[in-house]
Amino acid sequence: MTRFPIVPSLEDDAHVILVGNPNVGKSALFGALTGHYVEISNFPGTTVELSTGHTDGMPLVDTPGIQSLHARSDDERVTRDILLERGGSLVLQVADARNLRRSLLLTMQLAELDRPLLLDVNMVDEARERGIQVDTARLEQLLGAQVVPTVAVTGEGIGTLRSRFQTARPVRHRVRYDEAIEDAVKQLTPLLEGRDGDERAIALMILAGDAELAARYGAAHRPEIDALVARTAGRYPRPLNFVLTQQRLHAVDELVAAVVLHPETRQAHAGETLGRLALHPVWGLPVLIAVLALFYLFVGRLGAGVCVNWMERVFFGHGVNPLAIWLAGFIPMPLVRDLLVGEYGLITMALTYGIAIVLPIVLTFFIAFGLLEDSGYLPRLAVMMDRPFKALGLNGKAVLPMLLGLGCDTMATMTTRILETRKDRLMVTLLLALGVPCSAQLGVIMGMTAYLPPAAIVVWGAVVTGVMFAVGWAASRVIPGERSDFILELPPIRLPQLVNIVIKTVARLEWYLKEVLPLFALGTLLLFVLDRTGALHLLERWAAPLVEGGLGLPRATTASFIIGFLRRDYGAAGLFALARAGALSVPQVLVSLVVITLFVPCVANVLIIAREHGTKVAFWVVGFVFPFAFAVGVLLHFGLLVLGVHF
Amino acid sequence: MHCPLCGCEFDETDQSCAGRCPMAAIQGCSLICCPNCAYQMVDESKSAAAKLLRRLLHSPAEPEKKEPTP
Repeated sequence: MTRFPIVPSLEDDAHVILVGNPNVGKSALFGALTGHYVEISNFPGTTVELSTGHTDGMPLVDTPGIQSLHARSDDERVTRDILLERGGSLVLQVADARNLRRSLLLTMQLAELDRPLLLDVNMVDEARERGIQVDTARLEQLLGAQVVPTVAVTGEGIGTLRSRFQTARPVRHRVRYDEAIEDAVKQLTPLLEGRDGDERAIALMILAGDAELAARYGAAHRPEIDALVARTAGRYPRPLNFVLTQQRLHAVDELVAAVVLHPETRQAHAGETLGRLALHPVWGLPVLIAVLALFYLFVGRLGAGVCVNWMERVFFGHGVNPLAIWLAGFIPMPLVRDLLVGEYGLITMALTYGIAIVLPIVLTFFIAFGLLEDSGYLPRLAVMMDRPFKALGLNGKAVLPMLLGLGCDTMATMTTRILETRKDRLMVTLLLALGVPCSAQLGVIMGMTAYLPPAAIVVWGAVVTGVMFAVGWAASRVIPGERSDFILELPPIRLPQLVNIVIKTVARLEWYLKEVLPLFALGTLLLFVLDRTGALHLLERWAAPLVEGGLGLPRATTASFIIGFLRRDYGAAGLFALARAGALSVPQVLVSLVVITLFVPCVANVLIIAREHGTKVAFWVVGFVFPFAFAVGVLLHFGLLVLGVHF
Repeated sequence: MHCPLCGCEFDETDQSCAGRCPMAAIQGCSLICCPNCAYQMVDESKSAAAKLLRRLLHSPAEPEKKEPTP
């Protein structure tokens, strides 16, 4: 760390600039300081409009919540410019006492501006409730700037905060970057024009990739600046912004270790070790494989094996279906009888698939997924995926919607809004539609893998992953746009609470029964109508060159693909039933599984793509995904034939 | 609302797909997703089964809602 001399305090017409991460209580503090109530909207990034007021006769500006001064979004750009344009002002940073690490990361950047800074450690009451204690006196000592603990919503500490406005001073504690970066900063600062005191901060922002600032303050030396940035970036395997953030985080971690006290230190240590292992570039992979193996045993063997066996053969085979057929015998109209208990009957097909086959699988899957979710592993998986995603040319932030897609693709498609470029939004929407199954679908797909030997499961995984990467890579070259970095706050690794898992599983089952089963019924009705009108037979004949000739599958799978257009898991359930009946060989299960995995998730997903990106994009996505899924299946079928693979 | 996993505070009405997702609009979706860590939680006011189970288990609901104070 380097200590810099203190610069003079506020100018006469100084503003107070309220800065902070999203959801740290800035709006509440603004209200407490100005006496005006501002509607508190805590969703990240919603403070997009500036609120202004006065506190103790000084103008106060509430800036949008930001993660860093490296401007990637409009919010960050606005905050950065306010800070740069109002040089003599006081920076009042609101920090979250519950998550000081995230806030101090921003403090380290604000410190580089060399402005008087007052750090408000807000929500100390909630931190205390969670057993987190922040030693603000020690933090003040280490930072060399004033630190005030507050609870903005109750007004606690606000008086003290006001009393410190005039005595605020710049932060003494600064990040000392490695030699290459410090050298670059030294060379860059003399090239900047029209600045007084914050050249170091601007130089670091330019190194982090802020071309706008390079143009604004270094126009006369632009080629020199660009060459210097490129030269410095060339010394690191990761983007410079990432390197800078890592080095700042290292400094922040030292501070956090000194001032934040957690009561459950031992448990935290065990959790931290596990968390670190899950994130490790080498050990993270065995952890992932172990997690997937346990998942497979629980969902594939227990859910799709033992539970489905009992439900289908005993409960439905000897109970529900014989009873329904007997009762339907009393219905005088054969058409209605067939609609209920025929080959494509609502009871014998929709209900049997939905309850006897899919329900046990999704039940075990929901339990396993809930355990994984509550343990805090999933965000670590997202971080692990950051590197391969970057290789695709995708914004690391895209990992989040992809992860959300494992819950619900429709919702995940909507969260692509958090991505900054249209390119990223379109790419992630396409990849979600192509290969990210939602929880219910993933459950059924995993259940189907129970009919595959380990080698075939590896082939399935490799084909689906390979296809995702190939499509992502190709799309990143076709769709223009910029890349940006991934900042995800990692929750701690913790022991899942049984009550929460049970309630979440029940709520998800309720969703499944309410949303998915009606679609199963609709799909069955469609098949019934197609069968009755002779169209199904016609479709099977038309599709035969593709299904039989191209994919090497029996004609009966056509019906599964038809209902798969409505929901991927329903199609998978149909294929699953055929596999259980012994109608499919191992290569056929593999080929059909690959095709159905690459189908568009459900009709709701298509509708939401149309709503989010327009009907043209929805048309292109659907028009691409379905033929592409079949094309991959055909290639796999012939590939297996040529290589003579039988498993 | 607080995410019980990462502590992120967010407005569930703002991020929820409930108003936009065609399926949720028809059937009602009781799941809320944290915008920070992707953790899914149940909006127990929208899930009859979860509400009933919570009552049976006599367990306090999580996560809690925080009312803004003027």
